[in-house]
Amino acid sequence: MKDKFSFKKGSRARALFRIFNTIFMIVTVIVILVPILKIISDSLDTTGAYGLRLIPKHPTLAAYKAIISQTTLYTPFLISIYVTLIGTTIGLLLTTLGAYVLIQYEMPGRKLFAGLLFFTMLFNGGLVPTYLNMRNLGLMDTLWAVILPLSLQVYNLILMKSFFEGIPKSLMESAEIDGCTPMGIFFRIVLPLSKPALAAIGLFFAVSFWNEYFNFMLYIQDPAKLNFQIVIREMIIESTTTQSTASSGIYSKTLQNAAIIVTILPFMVIYPFCQKYFVQGVTLGAVKE
Amino acid sequence: MKSKKLATSNGTLIKRIIRYKYFYMMFLPVLLTSLLFYYMPMYGIKFAFTQYGPFAPPKFIGLENFTTLFKNPNFLSAFRNTITLSLLNLFIGMIVTIVFALLLNELKNKFCKSFVQTLLYLPHFLSWVIVASIFTIILSPQDGFINQILVQLGHKPFYFLISEKWWTPIFLFISRWKDTGWGTIIYLAALSGINPELYEAAAMDGANRLKQCFYVTLPGIMNTILVVFILDLSKVMNLFDSVFNLMNPLVYNVSDTVQTYTFRIMSEQSDYGYATAVGLFKSVVVLVLVLSANQVSKKIKGSSIL
Repeated sequence: MKDKFSFKKGSRARALFRIFNTIFMIVTVIVILVPILKIISDSLDTTGAYGLRLIPKHPTLAAYKAIISQTTLYTPFLISIYVTLIGTTIGLLLTTLGAYVLIQYEMPGRKLFAGLLFFTMLFNGGLVPTYLNMRNLGLMDTLWAVILPLSLQVYNLILMKSFFEGIPKSLMESAEIDGCTPMGIFFRIVLPLSKPALAAIGLFFAVSFWNEYFNFMLYIQDPAKLNFQIVIREMIIESTTTQSTASSGIYSKTLQNAAIIVTILPFMVIYPFCQKYFVQGVTLGAVKE
Repeated sequence: MKSKKLATSNGTLIKRIIRYKYFYMMFLPVLLTSLLFYYMPMYGIKFAFTQYGPFAPPKFIGLENFTTLFKNPNFLSAFRNTITLSLLNLFIGMIVTIVFALLLNELKNKFCKSFVQTLLYLPHFLSWVIVASIFTIILSPQDGFINQILVQLGHKPFYFLISEKWWTPIFLFISRWKDTGWGTIIYLAALSGINPELYEAAAMDGANRLKQCFYVTLPGIMNTILVVFILDLSKVMNLFDSVFNLMNPLVYNVSDTVQTYTFRIMSEQSDYGYATAVGLFKSVVVLVLVLSANQVSKKIKGSSIL
């Protein structure tokens, strides 16, 4: 296909399109980037005279130092890390176990199990019954109330299942002949061969646990068990204070900006290395048409 | 004769179950989680037919909650907003995402393409709390970036998020800012799966680029478009995180949705019975929407998506 960039007759329209497309993409990049850059820049500017600058005049890390010195923020941060680690582990365990059982097409009751899981995607009890149920289970004010319901994501389970279906059946069968138990096949064959899917789905879980705030709001009253997202919400979205300097003597907007950056920093650091797994995760389900 | 056959098939069924005993054990944690946290709450749907506050035990009142529901102007406004916001979001979202995917697909420079993609996917991973915080700051009437621009241009600062006129467009824009890039992934995968020979054949027949787009590209990704549409439709009434973090009492008129309304009824008034009824109504509407979309897809392309 002729695709040379030139203004000669015949390829002029194509050339114009490519110029348009480039400009369009540049505008897109600016629109995505400017809000984030502005937050970073303002978090480094303690004078509060932000203006339109995207690079601060006198950058200092004072706001970050103020955040680090606030020991009250340590617990929420640790809670965020704890919930992310435990949640991702349990989530991956349930996802892989469920997916492994659902590819046993000969198993009696498989269809029932699949239907049972699938139905939860279509219909749920709703907010109040879910809340009352959690209260009846006695899990209020425990982190399990946050972690356990989110550990079973049927959509992720379906993605994992379609990945498992791509593993050659003969591998599992020959291991069975060699006397391997289903457990052994699962841990020694299926899981080691599923590293890309584990990475992708593990990252989905990690992000969703890191970002979780609603279950905290709903089930957790103890301030020692709230995570960082809740702190951010209180600090920025629910903040009604009009005072411009916080107790630490730093312009409160600068502190807010810095808090946002602290929350997204762990993700920003790993994101460039993990991006390909995220993309794989989305297309996992599309492999099988 | 017949009973004997049944007995043997029963025998093999038990044998088969025993053969799979380890698998049942492995499924147990998944089954328990789904029963405890998804199915047990469904039992609580019965509260929709009761009067139930925090202090008295539930009292059966039949369909009264539902008749109050349809007379309550706050609910009706929340219902209207949910439909408006989510349909606007769904259709604008699909069109914008497909256009972005088509344009990204035309980027020939590999480095540029992956740079733009990396950046476009990023906002999807920020929580709505963070995204709403970022835009609350950017749009803030004091020092907000947008207002700084307005001031430089000689206008007065304007508080966008409390303006009923501006809230909806801003909401739609922020939703696109967050999720457009992520949505393109699935379309880009579908686009790369289109047989290049089809384009060559179309070009031979004299189809220009635009015609190739309409007669080769779009039909090639039609299946994906349908799947995404149905998946998105199942989320149509699920408008919580985005709205909840961007809204404030001054714009309830245009921003309150069924879910934020339910949450308020539950957390502020503790009217469990009525709030359950609102939630049940929502769940049923979603179920009907998804199942009918699935039927339509069956008619159109002969196979269901679910």
